[in-house]
Amino acid sequence: MSAATIVEINGITVDDTFAEAFPMKATRVVVTAHDATWANHAAVAMTGFATSVIACGCEAGIERVLGADETPDGRPGVAVLLFSMSGKELAKQLERRVGQCVLTCPTTAIYAGLDADAAADRAALGKNLRFFGDGWQISKMIDGRRYWRVPVMDGEFVVEETTPVVKAVGGGNLLILARDTEAALGAAEAAVAAMRALPNVILPFPGGVVRSGSKIGSKYASLPASSNDAFCPALTPLAKRTELTPEIGCVMEIVIDGLTDGDVAAAMRVGMEVILERGAAAGVRRISAGNYGGKLGPYLYRLHALLGRSEA
Amino acid sequence: MSANNRAAGAFRLRLRAQPALRLDLAGLTPGALAGQSPADVARCPLWHGNETVPLGEFFDVSALAGDDATLVFDGDLARCDGIGRELDGGRIRVEGDVGDYLGAGMRAGEITVTGSAGMLAACEMAGGRLDVAGDVGDYAASALPGDMDGMRGGLLIVRGDAGARFGDRMRRGTALVFGAAGDFLASRLVAGTIAVAGEVGAHCGYGMRRGTLIFAGPQPEPPPTFVPTGHDVQVIWTLLARSLAAHGGPFAALAVGRPRRFVGDLAADGKGEWLLPA
Repeated sequence: MSAATIVEINGITVDDTFAEAFPMKATRVVVTAHDATWANHAAVAMTGFATSVIACGCEAGIERVLGADETPDGRPGVAVLLFSMSGKELAKQLERRVGQCVLTCPTTAIYAGLDADAAADRAALGKNLRFFGDGWQISKMIDGRRYWRVPVMDGEFVVEETTPVVKAVGGGNLLILARDTEAALGAAEAAVAAMRALPNVILPFPGGVVRSGSKIGSKYASLPASSNDAFCPALTPLAKRTELTPEIGCVMEIVIDGLTDGDVAAAMRVGMEVILERGAAAGVRRISAGNYGGKLGPYLYRLHALLGRSEA
Repeated sequence: MSANNRAAGAFRLRLRAQPALRLDLAGLTPGALAGQSPADVARCPLWHGNETVPLGEFFDVSALAGDDATLVFDGDLARCDGIGRELDGGRIRVEGDVGDYLGAGMRAGEITVTGSAGMLAACEMAGGRLDVAGDVGDYAASALPGDMDGMRGGLLIVRGDAGARFGDRMRRGTALVFGAAGDFLASRLVAGTIAVAGEVGAHCGYGMRRGTLIFAGPQPEPPPTFVPTGHDVQVIWTLLARSLAAHGGPFAALAVGRPRRFVGDLAADGKGEWLLPA
């Protein structure tokens, strides 16, 4: 640990470090269905296997559940955010996931969920999936937005033609350094619950938490990333460089993708506040963040600055 | 410099007396007149029958406050054709009746008429908004004689009744009729949405290929070339009904209904639909 300034709140040390995030492309879609259960089934399926762009193609998650009064068609729905490293990859993932997980799910419909001007980049939503209708598909323009109605066995699948794609931020993160597994999980779960209440962000890993934080590169040439050994308690006495001390028995990471820089910062701040509020008695010793020395991305989130403790 | 010679963006054109022959006002758009003075506008040539005459022969021209590209017509313009034809922006307001070709081929902008319009209103309209407080004559939202495509975009609102062949060959856009519609409503419809709140005449949907017809008021009996489909159309219905509800009146409460759906005309492509919510 290389702390230049010591910030300790309720017995928990906040490292003088920063999280490093990178630019992504993102979109929001709204999935609706006959009831909330089926909307959730579709949203869960389409955001499955979308934890990391390292091997999933995109990072996706349920942003929030929508009431019937919040959706275009007056049915219960779910807002889903998808992030990818390029607009092209995002479009590819979107088409596959909508085609295999939403089109297939009983009673669903799917709409663009971002407001954007006409000049904004757009990704196909139903533009290509409509051909599943084998010629029976119908286009409908309503208030300047084109929808496709594809005949399916439960009636018709209504899908908006395209969805806006915007610049976004991926890879914001917090590292929770705790006494043991129970303490680390307790802190992570509390932070995740609070962070997920915020708009415009997703925490793409299972339960919002990742235990296999990675560093760039590997001793094996074919691997782009490998275990973040500096934060592995098993390697504290072994690794050439460790960020841990012997009393740290478990580290959990929360990764945040957001539509804007400010959204990621807000989520990180809320997450830290929840952990700090619980205090050292809950078993957390330190809060840190993953960074790559500024080599990975242009967005740097300094933990002290987020807590208003920056001297800068 | 007198007000008559000062450049302006908005004008009021008051028709002094009804012309003896048809007067063609095509090309008299807010964009074309913006930046001119009332005196310049009064010198604009207009076709009156088979001769051109200065606009000032028929209209009193005055500048209006504000820089918005706006034209206000005042008087009984029932013999004035082509108002707002090819309009591509700005606003036209007509306080009275108008002649034929109102808003024909308009691409953007807004036209409001407090009276009624003649034939071929909104024919080949491609964008913008056209709102007629009274009735429209035959062939509104249809194609120009000899052309293949009718209205292809924008919003047409008729708060009175519509004549025959409303929406003939229409292929995109939305057209609402608060009153009754004449014979051959939506004939040869290619696509788009037409909603009618009053009675409709004979041969409704004749040759309809695609597109949507919504009957917000009396529910006509579909002809034999239209057949019912039994599936749940609540999703697209809600999207449509919520959009139409913004226009109020008979369209305000459509979303609460669950429509019956018929498709046809089976003698044509058969992918058009009638939605009967009552």
